[in-house]
Amino acid sequence: MKWLIFEWRLIARSRLSVAALLLLLLLTSLAVWSGLHETARQRDTIARLAPLHQQDVAALAARYPNSADAGSPAYYTFYNTWDPPSQAAFLALGLRDVAPYVLRVRALGLQAQLYEGESFNPEVALPGRFDFAFVLIYLTPLFAIALLHDVVSAERESGRLRLLQAMPSTRQLWRRRIGLRYALLLACLVVPAVVGAVSSQTLPAVVLAVLAVSAAYLAFWVGVTVLVATSTWRSVANATALMGVWAALVLVLPTLANMVLVRAIPVHQGVDLMLKQRQVVHGAWEVPREETMGKFYAGHPAWKDSAPLPAGFHYKWYFAFHQLGDESVADQVREYRDGLLARQDWSDRLGWILPGVAAQSVLHRLADTDLPAQLAYQDRIAAFHGDVRRFYYGYLFNGRPFGTADFAKLPAFTPRPAAMTVPWTGLLVLLAVAALTLGAGMMRFARINPERGG
Amino acid sequence: MLEAIGLTKLYGQHTALDRLDLKVNPGEIFCLLGANGAGKTTTINLFLNFIAPSAGTARINGVDVARDPLGTKQDVAYIPEQVSLYGTLSGVENLRYFSALALNRHLPRPRLLELLEQVGLDTHAIDKPVSAYSKGMRQKVWIAVALAKEVKALLLDEPTSGLDPHAANEFSGLLTRASQSGVAVLTTTHDLFHAKHTGTRIGIMKRGRLVESLDSAQISDVDLQKLYLAHMGA
Repeated sequence: MKWLIFEWRLIARSRLSVAALLLLLLLTSLAVWSGLHETARQRDTIARLAPLHQQDVAALAARYPNSADAGSPAYYTFYNTWDPPSQAAFLALGLRDVAPYVLRVRALGLQAQLYEGESFNPEVALPGRFDFAFVLIYLTPLFAIALLHDVVSAERESGRLRLLQAMPSTRQLWRRRIGLRYALLLACLVVPAVVGAVSSQTLPAVVLAVLAVSAAYLAFWVGVTVLVATSTWRSVANATALMGVWAALVLVLPTLANMVLVRAIPVHQGVDLMLKQRQVVHGAWEVPREETMGKFYAGHPAWKDSAPLPAGFHYKWYFAFHQLGDESVADQVREYRDGLLARQDWSDRLGWILPGVAAQSVLHRLADTDLPAQLAYQDRIAAFHGDVRRFYYGYLFNGRPFGTADFAKLPAFTPRPAAMTVPWTGLLVLLAVAALTLGAGMMRFARINPERGG
Repeated sequence: MLEAIGLTKLYGQHTALDRLDLKVNPGEIFCLLGANGAGKTTTINLFLNFIAPSAGTARINGVDVARDPLGTKQDVAYIPEQVSLYGTLSGVENLRYFSALALNRHLPRPRLLELLEQVGLDTHAIDKPVSAYSKGMRQKVWIAVALAKEVKALLLDEPTSGLDPHAANEFSGLLTRASQSGVAVLTTTHDLFHAKHTGTRIGIMKRGRLVESLDSAQISDVDLQKLYLAHMGA
């Protein structure tokens, strides 16, 4: 313990070191607060949906107390769907800041509603919001570099290295120094995150996994810094080299990897699907109604015994060609999703050589804010949309009227439960890479030569 | 206690140290004289295992330094030309830190104060940051570290360089007292006067070779100077 007090005293009397640690603590705290604030805002938004929906439904029920068919109620009734943030989402907002977590849908073509204004990016290309994941992956390495880049060169440049290397217990000294700085940096990350996790009632298993990711990623960067710091270069050269390594591993290589992925796995944008579906829907006005209904009944024989269409517009035909529009892009939707998931898989594999990508991927999975989470929400929407369609089809195709009492039977959306899964492969890869890098760095202390460098 | 047997160091074609045979017994102060580049610091570095010998061995207390670097470091203390301590720590804090590194245990404050008193550090300076210390004061702290370690050998590299005559004299007194307690001292210096009046034996080095080795009591100041200059080719 006394050793730690001595080493702490050295750090505490260095204003730059203390300032760096306090700054990291402040940034992490702000990031955690920002994440909690955003998830609270999303939950508040979601909480306002139910009363608003009731108001809308009440207004529609008053407007259509006794309709001959369900067409107008089906056309005008919007349903809220939502994907509540998990209890760990505040740590890594992931795709929740670019993809919708609330979507209003109605019984018309789903694909147009689903992909309007949507964009996806692979994990590698998203710095994202100012949350804990951002501070950990992008900023923490800079603080590790600040505290450790001159751990040997400062001693050499001040003339103390010869004195230290003449001691029998120098290796323990280096281990204590590195260990204390690592522990302080980790504390600056972990304390705000744990406070946030407690206030958010995050599951302990998820919290432990987040701590493991943080510890491993920080250990990797401490290892990288020590590998350079044990060279014979001067402090300035160490810092410059490490900044270059940071830029390469955290910014440049992930961006390049994203460009390669985008070219290697081309994926239509969601808006392409939306446009294609709309083309089919708009084009249906030019197609003979009997042809449309024939195609629809072929795919949905449950409704084929419906009464023939009367002259003029009928909602049966309208909703039928909307559904056919959805089905016309079904293959492209599958390709789109498969392409996104393929990019996600390759991003996960990139994590084997880019620890920042691995850490981000693991955190987003733990927070349930990654691509699979977004696709699971879309699947939930699609299933609910199917329920809504079938609800109205029962009225439309069976010729039943729709009145006030029927508004009380509207389907209700239930959100998916948060997927609290620990991505063990990604986590173990990150731990292994961190252990190897840190181990390699610590071994270099045995080869420090006070006669070289400076 | 300190022994070099055929100790040699080559840097490519350049011979920095050429088959040095040297023995410093307990209680002896051996002063190595020589011009810059004569091999004095190379000798010290080989004893400290900062560099590996090209041939020969350096031994401390009979143990080969290259084979047991950590073990031999426990028996020796090193005082460089420039003693750099942690400027933000006080004298006693530096002593506590470095003595704990040397001994792998912590000394109580009374013992630390006793050591600082032994080396003659002004009591008013003990708790002041070392950044305000003179070179002589920093050396005293470092000698206190060496005394705390209760070593059997001292290696010093130009210890009186930059010290005023009073401080140099004080330092010589400390060395003499250490040798009288049985410590073997090997020191390098340019200072003929310091070598003659502090050392029990004097060695003159030239281009990596020990060209002269004699008892300091057997030669006068003037003759030592003449002998030194003769070897230096002046």
